[in-house]
Amino acid sequence: MTQAVAIQPISNVRRPGWRGWGLFAPMLAWLALFVVAPTAILLVYSFFTGEGIGEVDTHFTLQNYQRIFTPVYLDLFWRSIVYAGATTILCALIGYPVAWYIGRAPASRRGKLLMLVMIPFMTSFLIRTYAWLIILHEHGLLNGFLEAAHLIPTVFSHPLNILYTPTAVMIALVYTYLPFMILPIYTSVEKLDPSLIEAAADLGAGRTRSFFRVILPLTWPGVAAGILMVFVPAIAMFAVTKIMSGGHIRLIGDEIQEQFEGGGDLPFGSALGMALLILFLVTYWISAGRGAKELRGA
Amino acid sequence: MKHLHLGLIVAMILSLAGCHRSSQKQQQRLHLFAWSEYVPQEVIDGFTKQTGIPVDYEVYDSNEKMLTKLLSSPGHYDLIQPSEYMVEHLIKRGLLEPVDQSAIPNVGNLLPEYRNPEYDPGMKYSVPYMAGTVGIVYNSDKIKDPIRGYQDVFQPKYAGRIIVLDDNREIVSWALDVKGIDINDVSPANLAKVKPLLADWLKLIKIFNSDDPKPQLFSGDVDLSVVYCGDAAKLIEQDKKFRYVLPAEGAHRFIDNLCIPKDAPDKQAAEAFINYILRPEVSKIISDKFPYTNPNGAARKLLTPQQLANPASYPPESVHLEIFHDIGKANADISQLMTELRNGR
Repeated sequence: MTQAVAIQPISNVRRPGWRGWGLFAPMLAWLALFVVAPTAILLVYSFFTGEGIGEVDTHFTLQNYQRIFTPVYLDLFWRSIVYAGATTILCALIGYPVAWYIGRAPASRRGKLLMLVMIPFMTSFLIRTYAWLIILHEHGLLNGFLEAAHLIPTVFSHPLNILYTPTAVMIALVYTYLPFMILPIYTSVEKLDPSLIEAAADLGAGRTRSFFRVILPLTWPGVAAGILMVFVPAIAMFAVTKIMSGGHIRLIGDEIQEQFEGGGDLPFGSALGMALLILFLVTYWISAGRGAKELRGA
Repeated sequence: MKHLHLGLIVAMILSLAGCHRSSQKQQQRLHLFAWSEYVPQEVIDGFTKQTGIPVDYEVYDSNEKMLTKLLSSPGHYDLIQPSEYMVEHLIKRGLLEPVDQSAIPNVGNLLPEYRNPEYDPGMKYSVPYMAGTVGIVYNSDKIKDPIRGYQDVFQPKYAGRIIVLDDNREIVSWALDVKGIDINDVSPANLAKVKPLLADWLKLIKIFNSDDPKPQLFSGDVDLSVVYCGDAAKLIEQDKKFRYVLPAEGAHRFIDNLCIPKDAPDKQAAEAFINYILRPEVSKIISDKFPYTNPNGAARKLLTPQQLANPASYPPESVHLEIFHDIGKANADISQLMTELRNGR
């Protein structure tokens, strides 16, 4: 009884006053206008029927969702998951050592190193993707360099044909999302107390062991955030896949764009969008759940 | 308290909407929504200089994108640039404002064969801007065998050397032509007939690109292409090794138009613009920059003999040319078929 009485005033203090609501209102308005409303529209549309370009029949139907569960579109979702998953894994493998290096660097140098990670953001990512075309194409910079270095024809028998292949798509995806992996991991690494690593060493843990038992669990929140920030946007990526594969590889994002702008079946496009949203939620749930578990374990 | 917050949000939304309205009314302004790579900047600047009306120029790269945007922003655009089948569709749905020809005396410059198009008899809702064809361009230095039609292009020996328009309806129409089916007869049965052929073709294509296939052809990444004649004409202008062929199986002809959407805020400005681009000297500038087939007879007289002899801009009349019609829901069937095939299933 006394406990309950004691708790009461605390929860009262935490309730936001009108000032709090006032500060929060723009955020609420933002969410309502740009998240809740569009999602609601998408949801409603996904139960309509497409009647040619931009026209809909407003009778309720589930056929759009049924259509998603046909091999063509399941395939598309699966391929998107594979590409996004591979991107996430590669970003983590490349990004973790980079983040570690930056996080452990002398404080005076960290700012500059972080700046290097951020510099690509100063240019439109579409322009950066077009730059990859120039680098990778058959008579491009990469092959030119290899030839100048006499690696063609000694090491490689003929110029590398990377552009318009899945490799090109992967290069562009990893390149685009790497900073989103590095930054959150860096934040975790920076916060990591070095004395804990020393303690692990003192207690007899080898380098591998202390990495997997101490360092990784302690920096996991950063890794989890990185996974979320890479996987979620990568799965919905479009345009880049199309440019780098010459239109051969289409992921779910490309298909949604096609439904809204090309094929003109808005309800089906909406249903695909909703399916993607569900996929995001599942991803979030898994990574957040896993992150929380790791934290508790640590 | 709760109601107050809700009221606040509603008020904010309304005020945002209000800002939008009031800023529009201030000044005469032409909102032009047109194809990318189609209206030269000098023409737009020239119009502003002449009339004092500033132009907001927005671009799109497919008729369907234009329609989607048009529907989502009613009363915003003054002038759009749909192709023939889209004009047909827009008229059917009552989305166009009639064009007042008395306000556009320069329509007299148009060649007679463009003045009574089948998709808009009497040009009530549309004025032709440029016309053209979709055809084959190949690099004659590298391709020595004769190329007469689609079947000569899509051969296994040319695998990985082909670039085509990234447009599903176009690609399907080529296959329909090869099978001798009317390109506007897009029934499920006909799609089933062309499916195996398309599946074979798609494996041979290296790049799908509607924006600009020229760099890849120039650099020699690819040697064969099915593209818009405007791009073909530019390639030929720059290097004679490029050849343009209208496919023997039948080719697709397009006519892009200027139209005024329903509820356009400034119809007068739109008509003034149409009249301006129909001036022979202005139309010539467009042809210089984007060498499509110019429907303007008076402008054609100003073109050089070389321009008129360019087979991509002004092809011989021997090949059977057809225009697209509005096919309504069949668009979705094409989309589904191509998604399936392009996923490699």
